[in-house]
Amino acid sequence: MRISPVLLLLACLPVHAQTVGNAEAAKGKNSMCIGCHGIPMYKTAFPEVYSVPMIAGQAPDYIVKSLQAYRAGDRSHPSMQGIAKSLSDQDMADLAAYYGGAGKAAK
Amino acid sequence: MTRFLVVVLACFSAQAFAAGDADSGKLKSQACAACHGPDGNSPTGPDFPRLAGQHYDYLLKALRDYRSGARRNPIMGAQVGSLGSQDLADLAAFYSRQKGSLHVVR
Repeated sequence: MRISPVLLLLACLPVHAQTVGNAEAAKGKNSMCIGCHGIPMYKTAFPEVYSVPMIAGQAPDYIVKSLQAYRAGDRSHPSMQGIAKSLSDQDMADLAAYYGGAGKAAK
Repeated sequence: MTRFLVVVLACFSAQAFAAGDADSGKLKSQACAACHGPDGNSPTGPDFPRLAGQHYDYLLKALRDYRSGARRNPIMGAQVGSLGSQDLADLAAFYSRQKGSLHVVR
């Protein structure tokens, strides 16, 4: 039996395919973000008081990595852990594309 | 009364100690520049964050959490593990004062 090299290559692709974010799709998904990240100089009050980070203009891959870290429990903010656990990989990629791309548009 | 004054003064000195010095932070930022870029706005890898212009108190919290292990990241944990509290404050002061693309959108 002869296996086509092309088919073999195609079979490998999905494993390496990254979730591609769609900034437009994020507009229906960021209602949980804007209450804190959409307000200039907004501060968290629990469990510690500090300024919520600016995320517009941030590197998209870093935004995804941060959300994954909250979901996995490697970062500890309770609100962010709860929100990250409610997001799919596609949601995270879409939000990263939206906030990351916002930086490029502003420059 | 004296005891009260001592307590009040102690609070002030603790705050003074926590304030970061951006010039000192710049001198201490050479190791950071390898990944975050010299100004903190030009990271060298796709998943390294921009730091330039980020809020001082957020940067300081992130550094403290890396150091304490509350935020688990092998690279950053190793980088800040040997730094003192003043170092962290200086670095946060330096990066928060650099110009960058971070901003707020809804």
